[in-house]
Amino acid sequence: MTRKAVSLLLILLTLVCLSGCWSRREMSELAIVMGAGVDRTPENRIRLTLQLARPAAFGGGAETGGAGAAERQNITWVVSETGDTIFEAERNLALKISRRIYWAHNIILVFGAEAAKSGVGNYVDFFMRDPMSRENIWVLVTRGEAKELLESHSELEKTSAQSIGFVERNKAGLAVIFKDFAMALASRGSNPALPAVELQKLGEPQGSGMEEEKQHEEVVMTGTGVFKDEYLVGWLDTSETRGLLWLRGEINKGIITVPSPGRPDKLLSINVARARTRVEPEYDGENIGFNITITIDGELLEQQSGEDLTIPEKVEEIEAAAAMDVIRKCTATLEKAQGEYGVDIFNFGEAFHRKYKRDWKELKYQWNDAFAGAQINIYAEAHLRRTGLLTRPATVKK
Amino acid sequence: MRKLIRPVRAKLLAAKKNTGGASEASAEKTKDNTDRDKTSSFLSEDLSSNLARIKEIFQNCSDIIYRQFLFAQREDIRLVLIYADGLADKLQVSEQIMRALSLEVPMAAPEADITKAGAYHLIKERGLCVHQIKETDRLEDVIEAVLSGDTVLLVEGHPFAFINGMRGWEARPVSESENEMVVRGPRESFVETLRTNTALLRRKTRSSDLKLEMMQLGRITKTDVAVVYLKGIANDKLVEEVKSRLQGIELDSVLESGYVEEMIQDNTWSPFPQMNHTEKPDRLAARLLEGRVGIMVDGTPIVLTVPTVFIEFMHSAEDYYERFQIGTVVRIIRFLSMFLSLVMPSFYIAIITFHQEMLPTALLLSLAAQREAVPFPAFVETLLMELTFEILREAGIRLPRQVGQAVSIVGALIVGEAAVRAGLVAPATVIVVAFTGISSFVYFYSASFAIRLLRFPMIVLSATLGLYGLISVLIIIVVHLCALRSFGTPYLSPVAPVSLGDMKDLVVRAPWWAMFTRPRLIGWKNLKRQEPDQKPVPPETRTGEKGGGGDTGKQ
Amino acid sequence: MGEILENSKISSRQAVFLMVTMIFATVILSVPAITVKHARQDAWISVGLATVAGLLIARLVTTLGLRFPERTLFEYPAEILGRWPGKLVGFFYIIWFLHINAGVIREYGEFLVTAFRPAPPLIVFNLMAVAIAAYTVRNGLEVFTRANEIFFPLTMGLIVITSIFASGETDIQRLLPVADVDAVSIFKGAMVPLAWFGEIVTIALVIPYLNRPRESHRAAVTSVLISGVVFMLVVANAIGIFGPDLIEAMVFPGLNKYRIVNLANFLGRFEALAMTAWVTAGFVKISIFYWATLLGVSQVLELKDYRSLVLPVGGVLMAMSMLDHPSALHLQHFEAQVFPFFALTFEAAIPLLLLITALVRGKGERLG
Repeated sequence: MTRKAVSLLLILLTLVCLSGCWSRREMSELAIVMGAGVDRTPENRIRLTLQLARPAAFGGGAETGGAGAAERQNITWVVSETGDTIFEAERNLALKISRRIYWAHNIILVFGAEAAKSGVGNYVDFFMRDPMSRENIWVLVTRGEAKELLESHSELEKTSAQSIGFVERNKAGLAVIFKDFAMALASRGSNPALPAVELQKLGEPQGSGMEEEKQHEEVVMTGTGVFKDEYLVGWLDTSETRGLLWLRGEINKGIITVPSPGRPDKLLSINVARARTRVEPEYDGENIGFNITITIDGELLEQQSGEDLTIPEKVEEIEAAAAMDVIRKCTATLEKAQGEYGVDIFNFGEAFHRKYKRDWKELKYQWNDAFAGAQINIYAEAHLRRTGLLTRPATVKK
Repeated sequence: MRKLIRPVRAKLLAAKKNTGGASEASAEKTKDNTDRDKTSSFLSEDLSSNLARIKEIFQNCSDIIYRQFLFAQREDIRLVLIYADGLADKLQVSEQIMRALSLEVPMAAPEADITKAGAYHLIKERGLCVHQIKETDRLEDVIEAVLSGDTVLLVEGHPFAFINGMRGWEARPVSESENEMVVRGPRESFVETLRTNTALLRRKTRSSDLKLEMMQLGRITKTDVAVVYLKGIANDKLVEEVKSRLQGIELDSVLESGYVEEMIQDNTWSPFPQMNHTEKPDRLAARLLEGRVGIMVDGTPIVLTVPTVFIEFMHSAEDYYERFQIGTVVRIIRFLSMFLSLVMPSFYIAIITFHQEMLPTALLLSLAAQREAVPFPAFVETLLMELTFEILREAGIRLPRQVGQAVSIVGALIVGEAAVRAGLVAPATVIVVAFTGISSFVYFYSASFAIRLLRFPMIVLSATLGLYGLISVLIIIVVHLCALRSFGTPYLSPVAPVSLGDMKDLVVRAPWWAMFTRPRLIGWKNLKRQEPDQKPVPPETRTGEKGGGGDTGKQ
Repeated sequence: MGEILENSKISSRQAVFLMVTMIFATVILSVPAITVKHARQDAWISVGLATVAGLLIARLVTTLGLRFPERTLFEYPAEILGRWPGKLVGFFYIIWFLHINAGVIREYGEFLVTAFRPAPPLIVFNLMAVAIAAYTVRNGLEVFTRANEIFFPLTMGLIVITSIFASGETDIQRLLPVADVDAVSIFKGAMVPLAWFGEIVTIALVIPYLNRPRESHRAAVTSVLISGVVFMLVVANAIGIFGPDLIEAMVFPGLNKYRIVNLANFLGRFEALAMTAWVTAGFVKISIFYWATLLGVSQVLELKDYRSLVLPVGGVLMAMSMLDHPSALHLQHFEAQVFPFFALTFEAAIPLLLLITALVRGKGERLG
């Protein structure tokens, strides 16, 4: 019995060995995609741009030479190719690249403004269907061309894709992974909003031999691209983006700056430690309303004025001012979304669906219009919990 | 439905012998008989004819010594001492036999008693100052006694021989165990002499229940084998099974317990050892106390114990002597290293040639950078390094100790450093292979053979099918282990089948007061090891009536 | 050694492990998508309904089985219906086990090929699966039951732990509103998981090998309950992560959620680990059905030992797994549309008819 088992095993082994190593991918045969960009060419074709890592330039350890004297190498290679579908463009690229295009470590996906305006529906399917591509890549939209964006490099990180990926990962601003983007596209109760990025001159590279680098431009986040269904319809600036985050309840980090109670010309900065947003829809058969309640726990981290703020009345005053500031930002964003663009990018439709599931069946087909006419009340409540290491400015003469 | 228990192999053999191989067996028997006819005869009264016959048998055996002398200086009563030079204690032979019989007896006994007819009794009752005497009238007993190291005394005119137990050959003294190291615990280890070993064991277990049943194996070597067990704790059927399997052995020689092991194990084709062995008396005693049976073989310090379960190889003596927490942690480390030494190279290959997505991006990039310069596929590279490592390991064991040092330096320096510098091997591969090697030293050495062996098919399959290949091999191994039995006990117990009561001595080593039962599948006959509720309690919190006696005993 | 012989039978716990692995192995892969398609975010209610119905099936099968505690599902139809009709029923069950096993093997291969592109041809995975299962079933029920005792905590642990890792992305609000779709859709959604839970009918083959057959009631009920509750959590977790819209479009929602795991910004992409858990569980499932087929053939044909059948049946399984479905699309369609009726006929309808007949004719013992 065992003899047969052994021979069976041997046959199996031979079979496996003889048939070769089908799906083996040696690491040195991979073209590792760090970032991908989608643009629309004037001829209405898709241009796929890939930022590929050059592993040879990533070498750590002794072989690559001393630490300081390391020669600045070309660390990425950015290539583009056009096609009628994303996959076709990818295959066209593959024809020209010596290695296999490897998507699994892709960090960002950037849509060019033109491509986004013409509708992203044509571009997203490949990234969900292909088993190698991930659901948790960061999705961005650029005001210019995705190709240009990917052709940049980062001073701090190895690649610009990593750089922008890490900024998103910190969740300081709007951060959207592909899965959430796809969900927003699929849902009738919300519309996608993507962080907007562009190239900006940021900082001066230091040191000798850096003169030609003076024109260096980094990828930075500058607000939000607003989508109506799959089409890019407009932008929010950085301040409006804060409003969007407050309304969506996605504030993780951030500050609120308010005037000092006694000295309106001097300012205070409050760090947001914790924030909660509750959305309460109201519907009476005709009018749609939303009551938004935002609760903020803050920590005073900077004070320009010299007054002592530890008195309860002053604290209350600060809290009220902070709440007002948040409401102001939210209102500005809402006005733009409701008035100018007429899109629900706040997932309010989902909240409405949860509460009025019967009415939703009729409303969902023209939700954006219904949303534009909705009455939205915002309540904010701020609590100052701590004041850092000081109670009052220590450097002020008494 | 499949037979749930393996047929007893020895019984099968016996059955076969009775039916199929009858003619063969009978032929053998007749041959045996003719053999015996030559030697099987009784001693005669004539001393010189006896001597001549013995000398004929021991023809060309230059180590056999025949010493003739006179009893009480009487010319008519001649005696002959026969012994193997080097096996018998020469000093004792001269002092206790020759001096006593030739010089001292006449002083003690009256002259009149010393007659040719009474000499035999006189020698037996008053003459020999020997602790153990056997009498025989058979020639083959004499031959066997001489070969075993005993001293045979033949007396003129009497058809009997005295076999004097005066063995005393050069033997390695009891020394520290070299293969099973402990920091805390007894140092002594078994030696090559069976009698010394049984004495060592007896010293550990002063119980009349400790039984040592002797038998001889090996047609030519006639090696002594002892089946040791604790009566009342070991399963009687198990003891019978061990004995019947041992009796089924028909080898011409048994030079090491490995011969026995391969003849009586349940599954020959399995790479996994189905019998545990030890060279430490304390380990043997502990296993006997769990209800196992030991097989001691003369000529080797290695004692076999059955039944064996796989997890035994992850245990060490010290687990039971040190504090139980550290015993537990160390066992976890051993399990981990066992697992790592099996799968690590395969996992590495699977990850870097199939599942690169599992690596963190930064790690992927740095590994990719390392691999840029390497000309081999990861599979070939790892296989080469593994082979190199196995060669180095073998060299380290076989070489004289002084050279071993040099080999390890050369191995580490050339194979490791230079290969990496030359860009032939990626540093990560060296790390993986080295780590695998070190891991395989952590647990019991004999179990590591199986793991080392299985590593290679696993590497091949991982290189063709990735993690799927790896997991397939793992599944086959687990199924195989589940199908294995060692003397009726499932090899993977108490993991599969789960025996919750035995979990206290699996990965966790419970404190001794909590281990109040023996392993269930082995020691079920006498499950209770000791009274439960013996947890030591400080005097001030003691409740008084319950368990008081046990506690004070503990403190 | 007589005492050890008694131990060699299967304990109730082992039976539970075996049944849960069997049900769970394939249900978590593609079934969530089918259920969500009908019941959307109420899929977990469907699963709950299916569990309740599965409990009834478990109860039915064990009640029937315990009337003949020494016999299997292949043997007692002959006692109830008479020799030849009974053999015919047994024969149908053999065909059924062959078919669902072929489906399982095919899904096993398709999953590996789809999820790990570029991959070896499908036939390699199928062949490996059948070959390993063949080696396993040769060793008998007891051996793979024991092997499963080791695999079960590992696979379940891996599934649960990876689910916990993935739960960082979970938003419980995506399960709301409750009862968004009508009752009919929820019932429709319950059909497919019920077909899987109904595989508990296999316990009718195991009852004679239990060391305490009376406990088979409890074992069957526990198995369905564990599978049902864990599956409900898995489905709820998947909806919480992806929302119903994305899930119904996915082929293997059970896989996707491991792809978004991210631990400490460092470790992530656990799908290969989840794959190993699934491969192990799938292998156990294939072995069980393989064994069931062999047992059926040997009992219907009244052979003494099934070991000579291992290779021929393996060959048939191999061929059926490749030929039953021309493509993965066909397999998905089969699972969603045809399989529930095909499965439930054998899982519920025939046992029910058998039980009624047995009661009417007064066959079997009354063990309760």
